[in-house]
Amino acid sequence: MICEDARLLIGADPECAAPELEEHLRGCAECAALREEMRRFNADIRRALQEPPDLQLPRHVPAAPRWREWALAASVVLASLAAIAVWLLRPTDTLAHEVVMHVRGEPDSWLSTHNVNVGAIDHSLRRSGVALDFASDRIVYAQSCWFRGHYVPHLVVETAQGPATVLILRHVQVKAPDYFHESGMSGVIVPAGDGSIAVLERGSAQVKDLAGELRQEVHWLPEPKDPS
Amino acid sequence: MRNSSPSSPVSFLGDRLRGADARASLTALFESLRPDLLRFAQWLARDRAVAEDIVQEALLRAWRSRDALKDPAAARAWLLTIVRREHARLYERKRLELVSLDEAAEIPDSALRADGDADLLTLRAGIMKLPLEYREPLVMQVLGGFSTEEIARELELTGTAVLTRLFRARHKLRALCGTDAAPGAAPREEPA
Repeated sequence: MICEDARLLIGADPECAAPELEEHLRGCAECAALREEMRRFNADIRRALQEPPDLQLPRHVPAAPRWREWALAASVVLASLAAIAVWLLRPTDTLAHEVVMHVRGEPDSWLSTHNVNVGAIDHSLRRSGVALDFASDRIVYAQSCWFRGHYVPHLVVETAQGPATVLILRHVQVKAPDYFHESGMSGVIVPAGDGSIAVLERGSAQVKDLAGELRQEVHWLPEPKDPS
Repeated sequence: MRNSSPSSPVSFLGDRLRGADARASLTALFESLRPDLLRFAQWLARDRAVAEDIVQEALLRAWRSRDALKDPAAARAWLLTIVRREHARLYERKRLELVSLDEAAEIPDSALRADGDADLLTLRAGIMKLPLEYREPLVMQVLGGFSTEEIARELELTGTAVLTRLFRARHKLRALCGTDAAPGAAPREEPA
């Protein structure tokens, strides 16, 4: 192997330990040094890739008139306040985000206004090993949805303040109520026995009250052997 | 989009993955790998929401064909491959809205390079700016742990073409980071 080939291979794959490359490196200090340098650079690339990408990267700000500096400072303050607000209202974990994404995927569910027959509600609950002592005439949407590897009941419940979506998560445990706000929805995930319940709203429904009510009324049944 | 499972998620199971315990183990395995898959998808798609969709769809596909997974130790590479294909499929289905990264993310100036974190930030920005044809093999190699041969097979390229792309990717990053010129001249030809 000649130096040119070795350098191309090192540049493409610094971790390569092909015998012919190793043999070349034993006799070429320059290429060996290059490989060490490229391996350090590769470690930096690996570090850079460990965090997910973020489009909010710093911008180079050209010199600006003094009044623009003040405007910029005010903007920074406002942006900081906005960032703090977003931080305070952020979904505190992936679970909240996944719940929101799931509900976003079924936009028609919010539009349901007719009561679901008791059989459909029972089906969605039993399939997930859940029983609910809850007035069925308040449920206007009931589906059995695939979520985190299990079927879970996805319900929409009519409340005095508007509809609220409920996901009963038998297999997901949370330690404490987890409030979140994302994609125009507010909600809470509360612990309930061995599982948890997520309640979301888009308007003014009282998710906390409904979650508390459901918590008292949900019961976990023996898990169905075959959820299909 | 309904986030539903196949009609019968337990209708067929491989001998190695039979029974409720095996199903639960596989679910747990998939879940444990989700952060890796999401990070991988985000570097490919450069958009968290799109990456979430890609991973969700990939996991559903993986679940449907889980009997193809003979060795749980190979699950990570198997799932990463499915994620990559799902990303490629997304591009085939529709052209995603493109954002000029030159506008979205300027690279910090040289004054920032004195700081270690700024170096990393510069590098991250540089990777973001790489065209997909360079970014994809680089992410597959460094983050996914794929060999040159595996990348070549997956991208339907020759091994030489993959090495060329990887060389150029690093060459561009080194130039962006202000490091000395990359080793040797960049290959001129990239046989497909």
